[in-house]
Amino acid sequence: MKFRFQILGPILFLLVAGACSRHKAAAPAVPQPEAAPAAEAPVVEAPLSYELRLGKGVYQHYCQTCHGETGAGDGFNAFNVDPHPRDLSDPTFQKAKTDADLKDAVQRGGVGVGLSPLMPPYGKTLSTAQVDEVVLYLRTFKKTEP
Amino acid sequence: MPLRRIFAITSILFLAVLVVSPLKNALRPYRGFQRAFARLGASRAKSMQAAKAYQQQPVAIHQIWLPDFENRVDRCTTCHLGVQDASMAGAPEPFRLHPASFHTPKDSGRFGCTACHGGQGLATLEKDAHGEVPDAESPMVPLKFIESGCGRCHASEHVAGAATLSLGRVVMERNGCYACHTVKGHESFRSEAPPIEAVALKTGGEALRRWLKDPKTVDPNATMPRFQLSPSEIDELSHYVFSLASSRDLANRVQAASAEPAGDVAKGKAIFAEARCISCHTVEGKGNGSAPELSKVASRASAGWLLAFIRDPHAFNPRTRMPQFNFSADEARHVVAYMESEFKDFDAPKEILDPIRVNQTLAAKGKTLFRQKGCFACHAPGAEVDRLGPALDGIGDKRAASLDFGKRTDISRTLPAWLEAKVQKPGSFQDGLKMPTFTLSPKETQAVVTALLSLGAKPVPQPYRPVSAVRPSLLPGGTVGALMDRYRCLSCHQIGDRGGDISTAPLTAEGSKVKRDWLVDYLVLSFTIRPILTDRMPVFRMTRDEATQIAQAFETFYLDSGIPEDPYAGQPATSKDPVEGKRLYDTLGCRACHILGSGGGYYGPPLTEAGTRLKPGWTYAWLKGPQKWRADVRCPNYGLTDADALRLTSYLDTLVKSSTASKAKRGGTR
Repeated sequence: MKFRFQILGPILFLLVAGACSRHKAAAPAVPQPEAAPAAEAPVVEAPLSYELRLGKGVYQHYCQTCHGETGAGDGFNAFNVDPHPRDLSDPTFQKAKTDADLKDAVQRGGVGVGLSPLMPPYGKTLSTAQVDEVVLYLRTFKKTEP
Repeated sequence: MPLRRIFAITSILFLAVLVVSPLKNALRPYRGFQRAFARLGASRAKSMQAAKAYQQQPVAIHQIWLPDFENRVDRCTTCHLGVQDASMAGAPEPFRLHPASFHTPKDSGRFGCTACHGGQGLATLEKDAHGEVPDAESPMVPLKFIESGCGRCHASEHVAGAATLSLGRVVMERNGCYACHTVKGHESFRSEAPPIEAVALKTGGEALRRWLKDPKTVDPNATMPRFQLSPSEIDELSHYVFSLASSRDLANRVQAASAEPAGDVAKGKAIFAEARCISCHTVEGKGNGSAPELSKVASRASAGWLLAFIRDPHAFNPRTRMPQFNFSADEARHVVAYMESEFKDFDAPKEILDPIRVNQTLAAKGKTLFRQKGCFACHAPGAEVDRLGPALDGIGDKRAASLDFGKRTDISRTLPAWLEAKVQKPGSFQDGLKMPTFTLSPKETQAVVTALLSLGAKPVPQPYRPVSAVRPSLLPGGTVGALMDRYRCLSCHQIGDRGGDISTAPLTAEGSKVKRDWLVDYLVLSFTIRPILTDRMPVFRMTRDEATQIAQAFETFYLDSGIPEDPYAGQPATSKDPVEGKRLYDTLGCRACHILGSGGGYYGPPLTEAGTRLKPGWTYAWLKGPQKWRADVRCPNYGLTDADALRLTSYLDTLVKSSTASKAKRGGTR
């Protein structure tokens, strides 16, 4: 009988141990929504999030020629355009417009929102996601010291 | 009795085992993720119904099974639950909506995830799926090389929407990687390096030594890499180069040219600017940079060679990308006089261009070196096509364990890290390796590694191969083909998916785009179409007859069936309404970017003479969707109706050059 124990014992032990072992039982981390940057740290140096980088790409490709690198409405083509492009970094403008307003203006253009036709509609050129990204990026514009 | 006790114990143990398994399953991390996702989805949902749908999702393994695509099973969506869920834009990982690209997120069901990202698709644990699995069969592709996934299916040089991949393929071609490494589709690659026999005609001993030491310090645009050569090896190679006999004809041309009287520097300066040499070359860094920097060229090449070369570049190097400029004998002399006066290295020793008095022993050693170092791969690619490097096909699927990391213990043991180090510093792996050092920028390195990772071991299955939208058409045969080769159209322009990237105007559909008479005039005397572009079409001084032949050929070969010859055909007559078209032009705000008459923006091409240049069929097709013709063009798609697009077309078609207008009034044809 002792002999049987000697064989069965280890086998059982292995079985039990095998069944109990499992990969790191890390409690599924419930992802926390990324905390919004509480204090306005130096914005320029903070690396942009993925969405903002995409928005920046769209902005640089389609908008920058008129609206300028910092959104001040001073792109190299701005001076051929009358009325001049909007200064997107103007805080009052930023405050007055909701994201939906901005999205609407990008998609339907100046004509669509009752402004100058010189702002073209990009609704049929950019995807909705791209418009959202570029609006997100527009929100990073801050007036630089005059 | 003991037997019964044993039986009892084993029974209890087995019961315990049976309990542990379901327990283990119940605690799998993905279940927690799925519950968290249901909560997040419900909180983000716009309606009660949608919120309920999230909460009612059963907790289960999700998978994408692709029997047609190497029998892939990707269970990534078990945790990455929001990849296709529009309401998950900007959500925390792993639930975030996949960023939009050409195929994502809409085609996830067709390609799965591992096709681009790598990783172990079957695994449902983070660590197994995309953790650090040593020598994984399919390791994760770092995000900076993610466009390699596009290249697995899209084998063409330029892949729309994959800028890094396309750049990588261009950089590989330009740096002559294919001269030493076999890659499918590039078997016929020939380097544009000059044939070695003609080098002694061009340069001097000291200039050649400096070049061999590090080509990039002599010419920042050089594509020749730096070989690890000792001073004595440099000497031996130089003696070898000068021991070679160049063709009698070329030698005579250089000699005759050097005996010619000097030209006029001021005139040469004007011609140099007018011919737009810096559309390809640079002068002190200004210019396109795809051809040699010229600011010190007169200290690298003799005056006789420069003159003879400018007159007939293809005789000296049949593979050069430089077009033939039809300068008159005097004009070429003026240009060289200008270059001789301005483009000198004033710090260089006077004897920099003196030839070497050949020592035969050194030359013989140099000859061996020339073979050993693989110089012949670029400089003498004749009948003996001998790719001395390993083939690169399939390198994107190499297992890390099969790579030789040599002395590089500082990098992680993965294929991308190995490739990156290899591309940047090939000599750092061990001493005596043959691969030379290409001085690439970080961006270029990233691009080349992306292109290399796209070279998979086996071709993707047929249903996943892209239908080639562009014909792989190259030059037509016959006289026109010879003409287009003479002026090297493909050095700057693209036709199909081949050609240079200097011009923004591909020629693939040029015959459907521009009017023949305009094209003839333009070829004879080209001018700037878009004022903001710095690289402009050179003035080749081709004859009107040659220009006519080329323009005719364009109307035969380079057409697009999607562009109607007559857009008004079959449309109501009211569509042809220039007055209404003008109103549309104003209300749409076209003048924000286009100059018309005296006003307008500075971005797009001026439209003052649009009717002289563009065929109405093209204008119409363009207005209906500019992105179809150039994917990244800024001109927005206004979503015009057929009728409005036609009205605008008919207005633009009335904008003709004044002389043509008067001709038209006299009853001339257009």
